[in-house]
Amino acid sequence: MEFDKKSLLKLGKLARISISDDKLNSLSKDLNSILEFVDQLKEIKTNQVDPTSNSLNQKLEVRDDKVITKNNAEDILENAPEKEMDFFVVPKVIE
Amino acid sequence: MKDSYTLKSLAVLLENNKISSKELTSEYLKNIENGKELNCYNTITQEKALIDAGKSDERRKSQNLRSKYDGIPIGIKDLFCTKGVTTTASSKILSNFVPNYESTVTQNCDDAGLISLGKLNCDEFAMGSTNKTSFFGSVKNPWKSVNSDNELVPGGSSGGSAAAVSSDLCVASLGTDTGGSIRQPASFTGTVGLKPSYGRVSRWGIVAFASSLDQAGPITKTVEDAAIFLDIISGHDEKDSTSSVNPKENYYENLNSDIKGMKIGIPKEFRSDKLPASTQKSWDECANLLKTNGAEIVDISLPHTMSALPAYYIIAPAEASSNLARYDGVRYGLRVKGNDLIDMYEKTRSEGFGDEVKRRILIGTYVLSSGYYDAYYIKAQKIRSLIKSDYVEAFKKVDAILTPSTPSTAFEIANEPSDPVQNYLNDIFTVPVNLAGLPGISIPFANDENNLPIGLQLITNSFEEQKLLNVARNIEETINYSETPEKWWLK
Repeated sequence: MEFDKKSLLKLGKLARISISDDKLNSLSKDLNSILEFVDQLKEIKTNQVDPTSNSLNQKLEVRDDKVITKNNAEDILENAPEKEMDFFVVPKVIE
Repeated sequence: MKDSYTLKSLAVLLENNKISSKELTSEYLKNIENGKELNCYNTITQEKALIDAGKSDERRKSQNLRSKYDGIPIGIKDLFCTKGVTTTASSKILSNFVPNYESTVTQNCDDAGLISLGKLNCDEFAMGSTNKTSFFGSVKNPWKSVNSDNELVPGGSSGGSAAAVSSDLCVASLGTDTGGSIRQPASFTGTVGLKPSYGRVSRWGIVAFASSLDQAGPITKTVEDAAIFLDIISGHDEKDSTSSVNPKENYYENLNSDIKGMKIGIPKEFRSDKLPASTQKSWDECANLLKTNGAEIVDISLPHTMSALPAYYIIAPAEASSNLARYDGVRYGLRVKGNDLIDMYEKTRSEGFGDEVKRRILIGTYVLSSGYYDAYYIKAQKIRSLIKSDYVEAFKKVDAILTPSTPSTAFEIANEPSDPVQNYLNDIFTVPVNLAGLPGISIPFANDENNLPIGLQLITNSFEEQKLLNVARNIEETINYSETPEKWWLK
């Protein structure tokens, strides 16, 4: 078993998702099943193969550096759960 | 579906003043109201649709039309950001999100005068192939087996988009396809689903799932409508750096169903004993039909086909875990209070995401984490190269490839497997196309012994959408598939 309770909780920390005790068993079963499925790729030799990250063979274009007035602070803050002046408000991080 | 409306037929009715946009929009809004049980729509924008339809009628009067299709109502998958209209990705975490910008694709629709009826249900963040992962509940397939009254899945993730077209809750809809999310539900609902080449349609303003695989496309009643809709939504967009600079074509105008001399490949790796006999029969019949119509059928090999699905379930979750990191309760969406910042993140994400999304984020986090990155993520990207080169080789020999769209027809909602991997197998025939960035289309071919639609998939080389549509049109013209579901929800 690759995913036991300890490794699952660590993964949850990395992904910033809290995992409750009652979900641990079913989640570890599911993730192990997925891992077992993708592990079949280990059988395939790929030493001489380059990775593909994107199927489009196109150079990234450089855009002109123009000032646009869209997406200003007001727009960006419109959906904020909590805001004050031009800022997002989060729980205190510095004592 | 010859008797019901299409984009093509509605354009003619509007042009001849047989119907106004407002009448048409009211008719569809009534269908939506009567079809509520199907759960196709997350949001119905009734008021806005009627106002927009009125404006379209004004434009028609003053001969100031935005396009031939001005005034035709459509549905939009709830994954496209729409200005002032809630955009949820069928997730609790975005259930209150109202974008203040419009996705390029929906803007293109508006520029053509199309009227949005509302936002269509889908799997949460487009992760699923049955629509069951939606925070707003499953969509019901308009089709039912002749042998049972049980409700069937519409497929996913664009399940609402496909079911709505099939049940006349809109004439055409927008979907997205990361591993089969347009083609698989189209196959399950007897509709036409087109996934364009990666880069053909802008991804700007679409809630991102796996950025190197996501692509928007239409679900329609006919291949002709698919060509019309692709004309409207495709093209380069400077806001999406991965949108192609290849000039778009006039797909509908250039639609030509002559396939004489074309070579159609049948990949042996897609053959399986597990394939239902009726699907195998349709596949064989379609190949024979293409042969009769002048094409040459060629046996081909795509040797790495079976590695596509496992590679996809590394790459897609990896990209998803990165893309979905933005949902942290700070800038938009749900926030659940916590003792400190980290606690707030963890509680927000735990409460805001459903089980399948969490599974994929966790797997994605795992395959990208220190010590596993090369073994999983890079390995999968190398497999992706092998799959791509399979297709490069194949398209040296053939013009198009014909396969089944799905390994089964629609199944019962109650029978959905609890093991996630069993569910992933739904996309076994569609996923390789996304990994290779190719265009693919699912078209209805026949109904099986339970009277459920069987879809067949055509694949062509990158940016050969015209050829893809031409072959699909040839099949459509020949078979004249005209099955429609019994409207049980009206009883």
